[in-house]
Amino acid sequence: MSEHAHAAAHGHEDHGGIAKYIYVFLALCVLTGASFFTYSSYWPFHAQPKIGWAFMMSVSCTKAMLVILFFMHVKYEANWKYVLTIPAAFMSIFLILALVPDVGLRGHWASEERELYMAEPRTPATSGAKHGGPRGKKPTESHTSGASH
Amino acid sequence: MAEALIHAPAHGAGHGSDDHGHAGGHLTLQYHPGLPISNGKLIVWLFLSTEIMFFAGLIGTYIVLRFGAPTWPVPHEVHLSEPIGAFNTFVLICSSVSIVLGLESAKANKTGAAKGWLLITLALGSVFLGVKMYEYNAKFQHGIYPWKPHSLIYEKADLNYAAAVRLRLEALESQLQAEETALKTRLEDAKASVDDNPQIKIIRDKLELVTEEKNYERKAEIIAATAPDDVVRHDSLEALAARIMPMPTGHGAAASHDEGGGLNEEHPWLRLPIRIPGGNMWASTYFLLTGFHAIHVAVGLIVFTIMIFLTLNVAQAGLVENIGLYWHFVDLVWIFLFPLLYLF
Repeated sequence: MSEHAHAAAHGHEDHGGIAKYIYVFLALCVLTGASFFTYSSYWPFHAQPKIGWAFMMSVSCTKAMLVILFFMHVKYEANWKYVLTIPAAFMSIFLILALVPDVGLRGHWASEERELYMAEPRTPATSGAKHGGPRGKKPTESHTSGASH
Repeated sequence: MAEALIHAPAHGAGHGSDDHGHAGGHLTLQYHPGLPISNGKLIVWLFLSTEIMFFAGLIGTYIVLRFGAPTWPVPHEVHLSEPIGAFNTFVLICSSVSIVLGLESAKANKTGAAKGWLLITLALGSVFLGVKMYEYNAKFQHGIYPWKPHSLIYEKADLNYAAAVRLRLEALESQLQAEETALKTRLEDAKASVDDNPQIKIIRDKLELVTEEKNYERKAEIIAATAPDDVVRHDSLEALAARIMPMPTGHGAAASHDEGGGLNEEHPWLRLPIRIPGGNMWASTYFLLTGFHAIHVAVGLIVFTIMIFLTLNVAQAGLVENIGLYWHFVDLVWIFLFPLLYLF
């Protein structure tokens, strides 16, 4: 019985062979080049970093899927793959989502001590040209009263 | 993980269709796996799902700290080289291909080829770690450490920073003076000329520089402490920080190196405190993320080294597959770390 199930899972081994790995390898190289392209001076969106971030993350997810599907053979596995990958994927997505409020609030709730020593935000256009951020302004909108944990 | 099929001895004639024999009336247990994969592969996949959460937690924390920070260093301030990072990405991708080709060879019972691919993977993994060590060393050389006694990073150019510069210069001065006196007495004892000695010249040149910088720092600190105008006070300390390490300008490849490296770059022995806004949090997250990843690479290399002594025939294909799965995961983590750490 177990041998049958095993054979079923590994039954179709001839799925592409070496050529497939070479294609995936080339795709991964091209995609690495694509995210590296954001670093070059030809990348048109240096002024709007969020475009680059979104681009790089989608490239990374594509690369990750290629590695998982082809190198880790997940594309050719039987349905057991969902038992392990889906819960893990959900847990990690929830984990990151659970941290999202912190991303939003960290800049708003700074203790007095932290504010005293923390760096000043630099303005993108003048960073370096005028060494430092806007003066006289507090780095963040502070609600120091509630922040002394 | 196995589901037991329990076939109790037949309680009646109705179970005549039972085709599983049970010897001597004993309970016979038959197992079939809950998942149609080997135990080893199941363990690796379970381990990998915990690893996914481990790195998701680390990367998520990095994102929180990064985007909640008032500012973040640009790569050149912290001596990050994007081309080196891209090269390392390429190396790991190549190693993923080589281990998967090793698995195919093992499945085809080509033991020699399998071992060859394994050796290539081992070499590529070592190259990755070597490049990582080179990168770490470049950071350490510039006083970028994740912990305080070694770290020279200050978040902003305030009086606290100026005081640290002063203390460092004073320490250097007394150290150099002690060196000079020691060398002088040694030369005088040997009846050699003191002023023509090349070593004493070097020490005196250094002392001259330290004294000059001490004077500059003192002036900057006095202005910062006494000037009535906010802007003048601020600029005085900003100028001091920029003299030691100027802030870079521009983005990506266009970021300039050409404005002169500042005092620390020209005279590495100074090791003066440096101003990198957001630098301390950057150092903590960078070394934590890349450090944990490097540990995973090192573990993979240890397993590869052990496997070199095995015969990688079709019977061992499962083993090659399992370590391959782990290795692809390590590659996967780097696929996300590279843009997040080098290009964001």
